[in-house]
Amino acid sequence: MGVPMIKIILNQIHAIRDQWSLSASGTFNEGVHLVSGDVGSGKSTLALMMAELLPWSGGDIEKEEITTIMLSLQFPELHLTGLSVAEECASWGVATDKILEAIGLTEKKEASPLSLSRGELKRLHLACVLAKDYDLLLLDEPFSSLDCEEKVKLCARIGQKSKGICVIFTHEQNILPRVSRIWEIVDGTLVDCGVPPEAFSHWSHVPPLIERLMALGSKPENISLDDLREAVCRIQG
Amino acid sequence: MITAEFLCYRNLAIDALTIKPGITTIIGPNGSGKTTFVKLCAGIAIPDSGTLLIDDAPPRETELGWVNEFPDRNILFVNVFDEIASPLRFRRTPCDEIDSNVRACADAMGITHLLKRAVRELSGGEKVLVSLAAALVHHPKVLVLDEYDSHLDARSLAKIEQGIRTSGADYVIRCTQQMDAAIHSDYLLFFDSGRITLAGTPDYVFPFLKGTAYYPVIWGCR
Repeated sequence: MGVPMIKIILNQIHAIRDQWSLSASGTFNEGVHLVSGDVGSGKSTLALMMAELLPWSGGDIEKEEITTIMLSLQFPELHLTGLSVAEECASWGVATDKILEAIGLTEKKEASPLSLSRGELKRLHLACVLAKDYDLLLLDEPFSSLDCEEKVKLCARIGQKSKGICVIFTHEQNILPRVSRIWEIVDGTLVDCGVPPEAFSHWSHVPPLIERLMALGSKPENISLDDLREAVCRIQG
Repeated sequence: MITAEFLCYRNLAIDALTIKPGITTIIGPNGSGKTTFVKLCAGIAIPDSGTLLIDDAPPRETELGWVNEFPDRNILFVNVFDEIASPLRFRRTPCDEIDSNVRACADAMGITHLLKRAVRELSGGEKVLVSLAAALVHHPKVLVLDEYDSHLDARSLAKIEQGIRTSGADYVIRCTQQMDAAIHSDYLLFFDSGRITLAGTPDYVFPFLKGTAYYPVIWGCR
């Protein structure tokens, strides 16, 4: 008997609204997955369906060995329940003081979370989400509003996760974690681009920097900042 | 020129600053004063002391377009057409002129297909595109954008970049965390702890940021 594999399988699920539609099929195994797509292509809709928070009009979703699911919405303000930063932290059942110290918000403990800057609010939200392990972690635009240093820290935090499925829905082009598989939504359909670096050749949303590096004959191994820097170094000799 | 002298507001302090017409991009860590500065430029906040003038006039006496970093905080009306039309309606622009301007602006932003939609049904990125259209529709002299690009994909950004450059605005003041976008600026300001620590063209500023997360990796492929 082998070890049971954690996975989520999308079998032709559909979302339809007026002239717009989304169709998704594919298997998400353990690891970090990137889903890219244009504005309004259905990234958030797919995330909601995978979290079973939005009904789909056809097909089904199979989950194997998945008992805990977390969806982080792209707007951190939509998650708020606490009247203060400390209350908000406590509502997630995480160690408030430790979290606030780690993200540099200890001094704002008693402040209203709505008085935080958007970047601070996103940092608070992600720290609460990432403090626990989930079998299926769905991150909708986790990099929006974060500054470049915080994006790098988030990538490192995601990279430390050794278990579970993490799906990142994003349009971020530059600061990303190393991923095990790349997907994209094109003309209303979820497309499996495959594993990097082979995936780059048929990824229509390939970031301009990766495209440029490939044109210069220095294909990065993966999409992380370290991989990109390494590929740039190769060009520079 | 946009000029600031002995400007103080909350944690922000700028002794002297001159911004020439063109695209000025503000970069730096969260909480460094970027949003505070652009709110002062947009006249949403008033300095505690000192002055900030746009061609010798206070921001509140200047034709301005503004996009907030929280997409939902930009929206006043229920549907997309009404939202984009609102700056023109507030000016009592004739109806036929409103209609043609809204459609032209939506076309430039690539959102004509959204005009009849309810704003609450839109994705985060679509809301930002609508907000940008509403900020541009009355052809402002100054366009102030606070991290407008944090919910947008590369293709939409390329279209918007074009829209911004052809908007006719004398000054574009924008905050971003996308260093690839910051490269395409006339002037860069790096904020840290409420102060401007670097100012100049991208060619001047970025070499100082080498080794940090703010240094565009693509800079090495030029």
